[in-house]
Amino acid sequence: MYSKKWTVILGALMVVSMLLSACATPTPEEVIIEVTKIVEGETVVEQVVVTATPEPPAAEMRDNVLHVSFGPGDVPTLDPSLGTDTSSIQVVEEITVGLVRLHEETLAIEPGMAESWDLSDDGKTYTFHLREGIPWVRWNGSAVEEVLDADGNVRYVTAHDFEYGTKRTVNPETGSGYAYVLGMTMAGVEDYLYAENWDELSDEEKAELRDGVGVKALDDYTLEMTFLTEAAYNLNISGMWVARAEPQWLIEEKGDRWSEPGFNQGYGPYALKEWVHDSTMTIVANPFWPGIESVPQPVIKEVQFSMLDASAAFAEYEAGNMEVAGVPSADIDRVKADPTLSEELIIAPDGCAYYYGFNTEKAPVDNVHMRRALSYAVDRLDLVENVTKGGQEPAQWFCRPGMAGCPTMETHPDLGIKSSADKAKEELALYMEEMGYADVSEIPEVQLMHNTSEGHKQIAEAIAEMWHETLGIQPTVTNQEWKVYLKTIRSEDVPAVWRLGWCLDYPDANNFTREVFAKGGSGNPEVGGLNWLNEDFEQIVLDAAVEPDPVKRTQMYADAEQILVYEDAAVLPIYWYTMVNVTKPYVNRTYSNHGHDYYEKWSLELEK
Amino acid sequence: MGRYIIQRFLWMFFVLFVISMITFAMMHAVPGGPFTQEKALPPEIIANLEKRYHLDEPYWKQYLLYIDKVMVPHISKDANPEMMDEALVGISLPGGNYLRWINFGPSYSSRSRTVNDIFREQLPVSIQLGIISMAVAITIGLPLGVISALKQNTIWDFLGMSVAIFGVSMPVVAMGPILIWIFGVTLKWLPPTGWGAKPPFTLFFIPNTIGSWDFWKHTLMPAFAVGTGYSAIIARLTRASLLQVIHEDYIRTARAKGLSERVVTTRHALRNALIPVVTILGPMFAGVLTGLFVVEQVFGIPGMGKYFITSITNRDYPVIMGAVLMYAFFLVVSNVFVDITYAWLDPRIRYD
Amino acid sequence: MTNSEMMIPEANDQQKERSLWMDALYRLAQNKASLVGGGMVILLVLMALFANYIAPYSFSEQDRQLTDAVPQWVTVVFPTIKSYAEISDKFSLGADYVGRDILSRLIYGARISLVVAFVGAVISLFIGTVYGLTSGFFGGKVDDLMMRFVDVMYAFPSMLMIILMMAFFRSSFAESEPGTLSYVMNSIDQRFGGMLFIFIGIGITAWMGTARLARGQVLSLREQEFTLAAKALGASNSRIIFRHLLPNVLGPLIIRVTLSIPGYISTEAFLSFIGLGVNAPTPSWGSMISDGAVAIRTYPHQAIFPAIALSFTMFAFNFLGDGLRDALDPRLRGTQ
Repeated sequence: MYSKKWTVILGALMVVSMLLSACATPTPEEVIIEVTKIVEGETVVEQVVVTATPEPPAAEMRDNVLHVSFGPGDVPTLDPSLGTDTSSIQVVEEITVGLVRLHEETLAIEPGMAESWDLSDDGKTYTFHLREGIPWVRWNGSAVEEVLDADGNVRYVTAHDFEYGTKRTVNPETGSGYAYVLGMTMAGVEDYLYAENWDELSDEEKAELRDGVGVKALDDYTLEMTFLTEAAYNLNISGMWVARAEPQWLIEEKGDRWSEPGFNQGYGPYALKEWVHDSTMTIVANPFWPGIESVPQPVIKEVQFSMLDASAAFAEYEAGNMEVAGVPSADIDRVKADPTLSEELIIAPDGCAYYYGFNTEKAPVDNVHMRRALSYAVDRLDLVENVTKGGQEPAQWFCRPGMAGCPTMETHPDLGIKSSADKAKEELALYMEEMGYADVSEIPEVQLMHNTSEGHKQIAEAIAEMWHETLGIQPTVTNQEWKVYLKTIRSEDVPAVWRLGWCLDYPDANNFTREVFAKGGSGNPEVGGLNWLNEDFEQIVLDAAVEPDPVKRTQMYADAEQILVYEDAAVLPIYWYTMVNVTKPYVNRTYSNHGHDYYEKWSLELEK
Repeated sequence: MGRYIIQRFLWMFFVLFVISMITFAMMHAVPGGPFTQEKALPPEIIANLEKRYHLDEPYWKQYLLYIDKVMVPHISKDANPEMMDEALVGISLPGGNYLRWINFGPSYSSRSRTVNDIFREQLPVSIQLGIISMAVAITIGLPLGVISALKQNTIWDFLGMSVAIFGVSMPVVAMGPILIWIFGVTLKWLPPTGWGAKPPFTLFFIPNTIGSWDFWKHTLMPAFAVGTGYSAIIARLTRASLLQVIHEDYIRTARAKGLSERVVTTRHALRNALIPVVTILGPMFAGVLTGLFVVEQVFGIPGMGKYFITSITNRDYPVIMGAVLMYAFFLVVSNVFVDITYAWLDPRIRYD
Repeated sequence: MTNSEMMIPEANDQQKERSLWMDALYRLAQNKASLVGGGMVILLVLMALFANYIAPYSFSEQDRQLTDAVPQWVTVVFPTIKSYAEISDKFSLGADYVGRDILSRLIYGARISLVVAFVGAVISLFIGTVYGLTSGFFGGKVDDLMMRFVDVMYAFPSMLMIILMMAFFRSSFAESEPGTLSYVMNSIDQRFGGMLFIFIGIGITAWMGTARLARGQVLSLREQEFTLAAKALGASNSRIIFRHLLPNVLGPLIIRVTLSIPGYISTEAFLSFIGLGVNAPTPSWGSMISDGAVAIRTYPHQAIFPAIALSFTMFAFNFLGDGLRDALDPRLRGTQ
């Protein structure tokens, strides 16, 4: 009797597995994915032998493959127009090259795809002269190959590809998260990007707005870009990932899927080889990249990125499976004490700043003395030495020193806010006197909110306790999940104190002081945020953008920062980030100051 | 019986329908949308993006559009459908027609992928991990339970249960890093993180590398971390159920007949005692699947659990909906099987 | 004496019942492991209740000069720590990442874990049992309807439900006007360090499994002789349910619930892991473990002590549950 029943159960299980496999029956589209190996047209692709077949590595040789880590979570996109996060941009920087390229250590502008450029007399129009003979390439499943057009000719990167790519970024239908940078700087973009009633416009009207964008291919290898002002950072903008060449033929055929592996076409020192979603991504050296001074031919054959959180990546490093890894703050003490790891440890500055913002309309931080008291009471040195431990620099103001135009501790040692318990108490006394409070318990509760994250929680707990110790107030600390949090700090009802960070897009004070805190910036939106508007501040950062004299310009930003963090004390700067990395001794590498590594400049010592 | 099963499957569709409605309502009730970013997009661009995904329509219409795409089969002349409009079931019909059914739509946060792509690549990994974890759980739990029951109230009982409980009491959050530390970093026996199989998969979930050590060595630590937790449940259930059965009349009869203790235990007691154990395996598997998030995060496994949690924080509506429906489908099917197996294995239960 | 004979109602009900429970208690006392478990649970409850008096420090007090400090005796267990850690015997179990006493946080943290366990178990047992018994006993249309509702709830991935609800509560309720229910709930939640919404989340998802189990048990029991006999003797429905069915299903239900307690506690740990746990600086074992787990290689004490505390609690609940089960199952009467 039982055996019969078991048979039935087994049968039922089989039915389920068949159902499952029916779901999995590859759909016709899938087959096409597999088949589309030849790029375009019917032409037989000329097979190019890329590298000599590697000899089987001798026992004491390493693979010429570099293993590094991204943070956890899948890389969102490899579409230059859509990238907003460091991982996406890192890969985009390797599979494409901008018109100009920032030297990762000096942050100087170097020629990229543009060999040279001219500036018009009014200082607003750049004419770029592009390199010739750089082909579009793709991974065909076994090797990197050149992309051919319908007639079988190699497609080379032209000024038209740059024009197409840039205009695609600022096309309102693309929905690019970074198009606003071009909107702020490039001529004609705002009318197009923010066009009202877009859907009701006729095709001619749309085309007209599109043609108004200040980027134009004069011929195959000459590109003209027109900017709104003669600002010093225009050249930086032209090199950003939002203004890259993009393969129009491919995007028109594949739509949003074009950047997936199997389709993806690029032209940088590396090409996309494999992308196991949410797990690993591999880029492979592009043999057709000619190698130029700023972007040499890669030495390392493949770079594999793993999408792991910090602890997992560090474990892989310690197990010897990864060449470079970040050190989780919890492990820094051990790494510093370990004889091997401490040799491999490098703490380098990073282009990011960590800060708290005040809602200047919410009690009790609607009073400048209270804000200054809170700001003075944060012992930044204590925080970075005992809590975050990553060698971060205590920040007296916001703008990251080292960026063009930002004050430095050498030139402005006394600028901004220096942590001081005594001054904190003085300011608190002033506040209580002004409000007529006799006891700290009468002060309305300070609400501190951060977005959900282990690191932010630790810092918030420490700072809340510092306020408790120094000022005697007991703040409440709450957290919200990221998207909810963003919505909260941009609503009418912003908590008294909230946190955000900022990392550079391009190394200039304009990207920090102005783009974050001028009205409408990401830290000071029209609604919510700081709820703060200071006309002097607005004017200074506007003028500073076009000030040609670097010394004067730095002083102007220093003045603006003084208003921001001391006079109005709308912002509580906390620290400037560092990168805490360990690198295996057999890696010859560069250390980037702008957040993206250029692996074509790295090499591995292959002999063990 | 047949009618009962058909009824249950019809109910299943109803259940999925209700769940889709609740999920839809809940996910739209949570503040923040898919296009809320740190660098706030201008309202004009958000409006364009919302139009692109029909998010500007009233909620009821969005919901109907969604249900239409997922539940209603569509037949069209279009033999080469738009890439981002891909369906889970796509069949070429004679006459150049093309049938598409169960289309969960595109992902908002990975704009180059559809929800079906994500299912095809992420879900199989979770299923593999789930199956192996269940195998670990049964291998550890069943013997412990049997030993504890047969030696009730002896030191063996205590030891067996202690081992089982230890498994469940150590959260994966802590156990994962400890395993990585010992076996991955210090001893270097196993790779600390990662997964040894990548798409495409045979029969939806069987990895092509199934025969290689490379696949199995990646599975051991995570499957152990998950499996030990569930082994406790199996061990305790086996123990309880076996204890109950041992005192039943027919076991006494069997003993009275002079059957050897071994035959009594294996042929009569154990077989009946396993009924409740077998019946919980289905829902347990569904539970394992939906609870894999932490272990996938800790061991860097590209499974569905991790993707699913990220989709919630990203407000990736189509992924949330698709994943909930998929998980719900597993849960419902496993529940139907519990009821059916109950009825089949225990003749005293009848469904009128 | 066979089961059926034993369970037929007799005239002196009062006495019979007492002896049933007295007997259970007697058998519980025989089981040493469960006695130990029960003792540990009582100790934990006392510790949680009198945390203010027992804990050497407050749970939020920081000594940032001693962040991650370890006491001397821990370095004996993990000798490598010596080379980099701050060694201080000020804190007997060491300090956490901002220099708070781990022992004090463990003692206070017992509150959260126990309350989560208690609330989850009570909701699960109470709602689940009543629901399942009713459904299983009446059968037919009632059963169908009630179980279909459970099906819908059960098919919902509970983690998703909790996460969505938490995000929803924490955000929408925070913006509500004073005087409304949501405002009151939000202030209660704030006062209890963010626990209320965790309870609601666990409570809503906890009872379905118990209900299904109870119903499954009743389905098979109601066909057994003693129920049929009781029915034949004209006993009322509620009498049959509570006098005859309940004692028989209680055993498996209690195992189920004690088994679920670790589940509730680890749900709290899971929520902490994804950042939806209690608000800082309120301590919970779950949040301590997930905070400490990232530092496990460097400062193992930060995760291991709360993990040990959690393990002990689970051992206690499990052995107590086992003992209760053996004691309460009428079919095991007189077997010892």
